Amino acid sequence: MRNTWLILKREYLQRVRTRSFLVLTLLLPAIMTVLMALPAKLATMGLKAQHVVIVASTEQFGESVRQQLLAAPSDDEEDDTDRADSNAKQKPEDQYIVDVDANPTEAERTALRDKVSTRAIDGYLWLTDDAIAARKITWYSREMMPFRERSWLSETVSRVVQQQELSSKGMTAAQADQMLQPIKVKPVRIEGGHEAKGSGTGRFLEIVVMVMLLYMAVLFYGISVMRSVLEEKTSRIIEVLLSSASSTELMAGKLLGVGAVGLTQILVWAVMAGLIALPSLAAQPNLSELQISPWVMAAFALFFLLGYLLYSTMYATIGAITTTEQEGQQLQFLIVIPLVLSVFMLMPVIRTPDSAAVVWMSMIPFFAPILMYARIVVQTPPLWQIALSLGLLIATVWGLLIFCARIYRIGVLIYGKRPNLPEVLKWLKYAKA
Amino acid sequence: MASIQESVALSSSSRPSAAGTVELTGVSKSYGDFVAVDSLSFSIQPGGIYGLLGPNGAGKTSTLRMMIGIIVPDSGQISIFGEPLIRAHMDTFGYLPEERGLYRKMKVLEHLVFLGQLKGLTGAEAARRAQSWCERFELTAWTGKKVEELSKGMQQKVQFIGAILHDPRLIIMDEPFAGLDPANAVALKDVLLELAKKGKTILLSTHRMDQVERLCQSICLINHGRAVLEGDLNQIKARYGRRNVQIKYEGDARFLNEPRLVQSFNDYGNYVEVRLAPGADAQEFLHLASSCARLSKFELMEPSLEEIFIGVVGKPHA
Repeated sequence: MRNTWLILKREYLQRVRTRSFLVLTLLLPAIMTVLMALPAKLATMGLKAQHVVIVASTEQFGESVRQQLLAAPSDDEEDDTDRADSNAKQKPEDQYIVDVDANPTEAERTALRDKVSTRAIDGYLWLTDDAIAARKITWYSREMMPFRERSWLSETVSRVVQQQELSSKGMTAAQADQMLQPIKVKPVRIEGGHEAKGSGTGRFLEIVVMVMLLYMAVLFYGISVMRSVLEEKTSRIIEVLLSSASSTELMAGKLLGVGAVGLTQILVWAVMAGLIALPSLAAQPNLSELQISPWVMAAFALFFLLGYLLYSTMYATIGAITTTEQEGQQLQFLIVIPLVLSVFMLMPVIRTPDSAAVVWMSMIPFFAPILMYARIVVQTPPLWQIALSLGLLIATVWGLLIFCARIYRIGVLIYGKRPNLPEVLKWLKYAKA
Repeated sequence: MASIQESVALSSSSRPSAAGTVELTGVSKSYGDFVAVDSLSFSIQPGGIYGLLGPNGAGKTSTLRMMIGIIVPDSGQISIFGEPLIRAHMDTFGYLPEERGLYRKMKVLEHLVFLGQLKGLTGAEAARRAQSWCERFELTAWTGKKVEELSKGMQQKVQFIGAILHDPRLIIMDEPFAGLDPANAVALKDVLLELAKKGKTILLSTHRMDQVERLCQSICLINHGRAVLEGDLNQIKARYGRRNVQIKYEGDARFLNEPRLVQSFNDYGNYVEVRLAPGADAQEFLHLASSCARLSKFELMEPSLEEIFIGVVGKPHA
């Protein structure tokens, strides 16, 4: 135990004191922020208002459509998180300049087509009475129309037409409005006999964040572990270490030391993110959706740590049976495949967390860190399933650690060509004491 | 976290032997088809310097690794201080492996403290001892430098200090002088002799005969994993008898070609070394030589260990 602690301490201090650790810890959040903010910024940059012409049979009908198009979106759309991006928040009058043209002739159509080509206008909407009667209007422009704008246009025009038809049948404008008010669906999840607060979007985010963190941690720190095993082999210090401590102690100390470095880094990032995001988050009414229960937090910590241990032990094993980093990287796919498979399984888990396939997949230790955690977030599975998956995971980590420590002990004494599987198995025999 | 798999406890049937610091009885180790050590037995008495000799690939390093428990023998028994080897013995060993290695990015003093702590010293005690050893080896100016900034020889001294920092009862050195300049080799030799005088047991593994000849009281010569010669160095030499003659002469060299007396000779320019034929009388050779040439020197030599080594190892079925 004392040796494990000494090795852990050395591993931790040596890493945390390096300049690259400092740079990475401070710079990565900056890079991430830029990477995330950049696409949104680029999309809105240089975006000018679109010039649109409405061609209608009468001036009055064209004008009603124009007004409806420029009207602010109704209040009840605000809680729809899907639309809460920056584009939708812009007012329609900033986005569009709308003219009305009551001259639906072929000559006018040709003229408008030329204007679109010469970029005098961005597009025109063909809204003649004939088109309305056929319930099919046409939008002409240089570019493909985004799907969301198409449905928005269709809704807007439908509403004007329906309003007109209703008032022509003797209904007042207020009555028509009342009648045309769409009906919204609000999803509420029942959890443990209570109405859960968060919507599906918040849950989904929680899962994505966890998967991203685990993925990054495994790749970052797992490779660190592998490199550090290789370093001890190539620098030959391993023989001195083995004359003072057991290989299990060495292995455990190394894994925990690198893990502690990772935790430190994540903690620093979390504090930084908290400091930056807190003011803006406090202003957001959506915050309530992201509230995470302590139970889910605990599950996150547990599965994250076990996931890290499992995968970094695999990395350490690769380090023990290879002699150079290139060789080690060739074997990395063995680790990446289960990780990628877990990510592929996420959608089925979120849709049908109870299906037999999902339940059994989430028991397999290599998938459990991501899949069982996702299941806990989506819909708390029966306790026995959580316990079984945890038990299997812990047993696998332990078994791998012992296996790896043995390989490590023998592998370090043999340099040169990478052993094949039968040779590795033979080492296991030599290593047993 | 010392697991049972890691402990290198050997069969309980090994007899406690009070005498030896290290006792190997019929120890064998093979890697696949290759037999590295073949039922090797020897015993190292407490105190003094013991030489483990052998050509490259004779099984020296495998033997040392088994003695400190890094690898486990296939069969046979190893006992340390009269008890079967167990993990707890590890802290009483100081080991300098042939393949040197230190953490390149660590500072010298930090590194020594780390090694000392692994052997059970407190951080403060390890630092104190490391400082004083660094003074002795003229490394004081380097204690705050990273290992990678040191020359190879200095790194080797650091590693040597790391091996003896915890004042081990048994010191195991695999080719300790390799790569050291003469001055540093002398400093290291002096420390080894000092430790031996203090009653420590030192096992020196090397293929350099001259060092063994000067330092060791007892040796074990191994070849192909088997002990070829073992025992007190003086007795071994006596057993091989005085059959070498160094001659300085002027005149007729005909006497060197007398097959009845001379087995072989080697002309070094200033003098000639002659190996007498088995059973030849040195006095008879002196008469023959003096009758042919003017002698200015005629000396009967002790066989060098190198000769014994080549003589034993060179034989096809040694």
